[in-house]
Order: sequence, then C-alpha cells, then structure tokens
Amino acid sequence: MSNSTLTPPGGAGSTAVSGRDGPGRGRGRVLPPPVTSQETVLIVVIALLWLVLSLATPAFFTAGSIVPLLVATTPIALIGIGMTIVIITGGIDVSVGSIVMVASVITAQTMVDTGLPLVLAVPLSIAVGGVLGLVNGVLIAYGRVHAIIITFGTLNLFRFVGLQIFGSSTVEGIPRTLNFFGRGDAGRTLGIPHAFLITIVIAALAWYYLRHTAGGRHFYAVGGDANAARLAGVAVRARVLSAYVVTGLLAGLAACFVLAQGTSSLAANVGSGLELAVIAAVVIGGTSITGGRGSVLGTVLGALLVQTVATGVTQLGWPTQLSSLFVGVFIIVAVGADLLRRRTRSDS
Amino acid sequence: MRAHRYTTLAAGLAAASLVLAGCGEGSGGSATGDSGGEGGGDDQPTIAFVPKLQGIPYFEAMNTGGEQACEELGCEWLYQGPVEADAAAQADIVRSYIQQGVDVLFVAPNDPDSMAPLLQQAADAGIAVATTDTDAPDSVREVFVSQASTEGIGQTLTDELMQAMGGSGRYAIVSCGETAENLNSWIEVQREYTQSEYPDAEITDVVYAGEDQTVATQMATDLMNSDPSLTGLVGECTSSAPGVAQAVRDAGKIGQVQTVGLGTPNSMAPYLEDGSAAASVLWDVEALGELTAWAGTQLAAGEEISASPDVPGIEGVTYDAENNVLLLGDPLVLTADNVGEYDY
Repeated sequence: MSNSTLTPPGGAGSTAVSGRDGPGRGRGRVLPPPVTSQETVLIVVIALLWLVLSLATPAFFTAGSIVPLLVATTPIALIGIGMTIVIITGGIDVSVGSIVMVASVITAQTMVDTGLPLVLAVPLSIAVGGVLGLVNGVLIAYGRVHAIIITFGTLNLFRFVGLQIFGSSTVEGIPRTLNFFGRGDAGRTLGIPHAFLITIVIAALAWYYLRHTAGGRHFYAVGGDANAARLAGVAVRARVLSAYVVTGLLAGLAACFVLAQGTSSLAANVGSGLELAVIAAVVIGGTSITGGRGSVLGTVLGALLVQTVATGVTQLGWPTQLSSLFVGVFIIVAVGADLLRRRTRSDS
Repeated sequence: MRAHRYTTLAAGLAAASLVLAGCGEGSGGSATGDSGGEGGGDDQPTIAFVPKLQGIPYFEAMNTGGEQACEELGCEWLYQGPVEADAAAQADIVRSYIQQGVDVLFVAPNDPDSMAPLLQQAADAGIAVATTDTDAPDSVREVFVSQASTEGIGQTLTDELMQAMGGSGRYAIVSCGETAENLNSWIEVQREYTQSEYPDAEITDVVYAGEDQTVATQMATDLMNSDPSLTGLVGECTSSAPGVAQAVRDAGKIGQVQTVGLGTPNSMAPYLEDGSAAASVLWDVEALGELTAWAGTQLAAGEEISASPDVPGIEGVTYDAENNVLLLGDPLVLTADNVGEYDY
C-alpha cells in the first residue's frame, strides 16, 4: 500500500490513504471498506422495496418491468459517476443538464440531416459533451472561482447555445438509430439492456480507479484539502480539470441514452432539471457534498433507488407527488447520516 | 486597445438606448394614429401578442398564423414572449408593450391572477386588452380567444380513444403539470363523459409526468406493467402524447394498447403511421393565431363581434357575448390520413 504518501488533515479518517501508518494499523484501516455502511443500507432498502413491490404488483418483477426501470436509471447513474468524482474533489457541476441538452440536439439534428449511423452518432455526442466539460474544467481549474458559480454560469451559456441550435423549434423525425440504447427489443442482448450494461462497466472501472490507484486517491486528496494535496505533489489543477472533462464526456454519452428513451421529437426542455436529479443520486449514495469522501457504487445505487421509488409509486397507483416526498426524505436522511458519521469520527 | 473596446461598447449602448427611447415615443404616438411617420399608420393598428413562452413550436405556429392574418387584414403584428414559462419575465414584456403604447394587447398568461392588475394598467393606458390560448377570467380583458371548449377537447379525446378500444376497457391518463388548470378540467370532462357514455370503460389512474417526455414514456411503461389488462393510454399534453405512444411501441404492444393524446402534427406523425397512436386531438394552432389577429382588428376598430362572426379563412367560429369568449370551433382530429397536411 505505498500508492500514496498523502495524509489529509483528519487523516485518521477512514478514507485517507497513508503509507506512514503505525505498525499497529492493519490494512483494513487504510482503505475504506469495499462497501460502506451507507451502501449496505441502500442495497437493503432497494432489495426490500423490490420485494414489497413484487408482492404488491405481481408484474413488477418481470423482464418487461425491470428492464425499463434499469434503462431509465442509466442517464442519471452515468452522469452521476462523473458528478461523484467532481464532488469528491470539492466541486460541483450544475451545468450537466445543459450539456445533455446541447449534445442531444446536435446529435439529433445531425442524425436527421445526414442519417448519421450509430457508430458516429455516439462519438459525436460524447465529443460535444467533452468540449463543454473542458470549458467548465478550464474555467474552474484556472479561474479560482467556486465551481458552483462557474457551472451556474455555463448552465445558462450552454442553454443559450442549445436554444440557438433548436432555433424556436423542435427536432422532428429523429431516426431510430439510437434504439440500441433504448428500452425496446433493439436495446437488449440476451435480455440485458445495453445502456445498463455500459453504465455498470463504466461504474466498475471508475470504482476501481478511484479506490485502488494512486491517481484515483489524488481526487480524494484534492477534496480533503487542496493545499495539502498540492504540497504533497498532487497536480491539483490537472485533477480538477479532468473531473469536469470526464463529467462532460459521460453527459455526452448520457445524451444518447436520453435520445434513445425519448420519442422521435426532441423539445428544448430536454435535460432541464437533470442536474438536481443527478446530485440527489450522488448525495443519497453517501458522497459527502463537502468533498473528500464518496463512492461511485453509492451513486449508482442512489440512482437506482430514486427510479425504483418513481416506478413503485406509479405501479402501485399512488399519487405521483409522493415520489418527491420520498426522494426528499432520502436526501435529508442521507445527509443526516453523513453528518452523524463525521461527528462520531471527530468525537473519537 | 481595451479603452477602445469600452468606447465602442458605450457608443453601442447609447445608440441602443436612443433606439429604445425612439421606439417608445413613436409607438406612443401610434395610439393616436401617426406611428412611424409612414402614411399608412392611420389604419394599421398594432397588435401585440405575448405568449407563455417563446421558442416552442406551438406558439411559433400561432405567431405564423397571426403574422399571415395581419398581412391580409392590414395590421402590424408584434410577438415576444419569455424564454421560460415564467410569470415575472412575462410581466416585464407586457410592461414594455404598455410603454410602447400598442393598440391591442393579447396575452396567454402564465399566471392569470398576477397578470390581472397589469391588464388593468394596460386598459388604463388606453390599450384594448384581451387573452388568447389561456384565459385570465377575473381580469378586464375584453375578449378571450379560445382554441376549443373544455367539453370539446375532453369528449373528442374520449370518443377517439373509445373508437380505437372498441368502446370498452381500462385506460389510464399520463398528464403533465399537476396544477395545470386546462389539463385538469379536460380530465374532469373525460371522467364524466366516460362514465356516462361508455359504461364498459374505466379510467384506472391519472399520473403526472411534468413536461418531460422521457418521464412520460417511463410512466406509461410502468402503467402497462402494473395492469396487464390496460388497453388504452391518453397523453394529456404535447410531451406526453408522443411519450405514451413510444412506450407502447417499445413494449411491442402496438394494437394491444391504444393511445390518443394532445400532440402536435410533426411529433405525432411517426406514431400515427405505425399505429402506436390512434389519433391526436388538437386544434389548428395557426388558425388560432389568425383568429387572434382578426379579433385584434375588431377590438382596434371598436366593432361588436356577432354570435357567428364571418372570419376570413376560418369556418365555424362562434362568439359567446355573455362571457366574451371567441371560440375557434371543434377540435382538430389528426390521424394517419391527415397528419401530413400540417407542418408544425
């Protein structure tokens, strides 16, 4: 475990990686457990919900119901992976909804105009997202203004760009090129939805990278204390920059998923409010909003929980507004749990 | 270099403010009939329309209709709306039109209650005020140009769905905003009309997807899963209508589950063609714009509107003099056969 020589302040905290641990400390104390208590709770809650829903509506636990649920989870989970990294570094990106808007309108319009095939449409969308993420990253890494201000600005700027492309209209007659990522038959192989599989693979890679490589641990160091990280030799700016670029790239890919799940027409309100849904998934997943701690696994579970609640409320025939109530409670409980953990730690 | 840029900026701002000031004066004069110094000013009333928001196909189509009608009828058509459906931003635009002193002001209010005092202000300034698309019933508006009656929409939606479902079965409604008054009153008609006219049919659930089509699609999917005996879905607004049809298509249930909705022609065309949507009920949005412009010319001229007015190019317009409601006529039913005739 000589990946890193960092000990952020409060380095006794479970997330800190240290090569200078005293002899009495075992390996188990160096890395956080593979599955944190919050994630365990989430897994149990989701499992219970699925069980209850299966008993309440027999149709819930069937492929026809689970596949669309998993597919609907993917845009938020995918962007959530990037958002988790951003929030771990102590930042935030509220422009992701606008990035999805710009990437989806450019991709949709190009497909309508030129009949762009899938293998080109996806890279195009990802590239657009990456460019916008780079704009965010450069402004935040070199601008010395807090990320929420910068991305709140770019949220509006990107939205303006998107509206210009929409040009007071909707994009109509979008071909079914992206059905590969959809909830229909074209979107699955052996019953497994492609969009979900891709999201899980990317999440697993991100999870491994963040947890088991020195580069990954640097993101936590930046979020724990950027100055200490810099003094310890972490390229803080490069880390911050890359977090926003990755988020942009993932938002670009998520735009393809959004298009695949939408209809053959695209309206200018695409992606609006998406940033809040993503941040909700990240927070419910146990990532500390103040940075330095969090995991991609939690975020994916958070996204899955939110979608399970939405689907459950609809399938049970409950009033739609109850999903807002549940999501609100989850966020507050999750943040409360985070606070409690921190207090317990500082007391000990 | 930098100083130069600021000078240019300052000059630009100064020029812009001059233009704005000039605008205010010129149009202020137009209320008394000498706008812009051009000869035709006397019989060219200025009619301004403030939509709920600008840049969506629905209001752009209304704008197209209004512009065309004004060209034929001889009026100046102004169109500006907020970029988001926001009551405060809309109020600012209304204020700017009051300041400009237009002759007739049409508003499709985002919030009828907060718009009422502003309409009073406009009327006090000598402007003829009216509403179109969405009413502000407790205001001083002289006319409300209505796209369709609540009964007309609710009953036509039900009839079209029942025709596809064979007059019986269970169906659910995917609505949009939970507080949208027009949608809720249509749903109320659908409930009553289904109960009285189609005793073998039943509305099982009403869910609210907001204006988000992916949410509408997912909710429609969930509704079909939770109730395998469901054979019909209604998309209550322009984002839900293609959404429920897409859900049926994705689930491979075309023909098993019928859908109708309030969708625009271009967005519904692919679904009407493959049968995932049976019909889309709307009104001719361009004609609504034309009728709005026509009503504006009547208001500007101070003409009374008769019970069945003769509007050039539009059939079946009626006027309810008691409530001052000008009604476009029966709803438009879009099917695979006629959807190609409209382009918005």
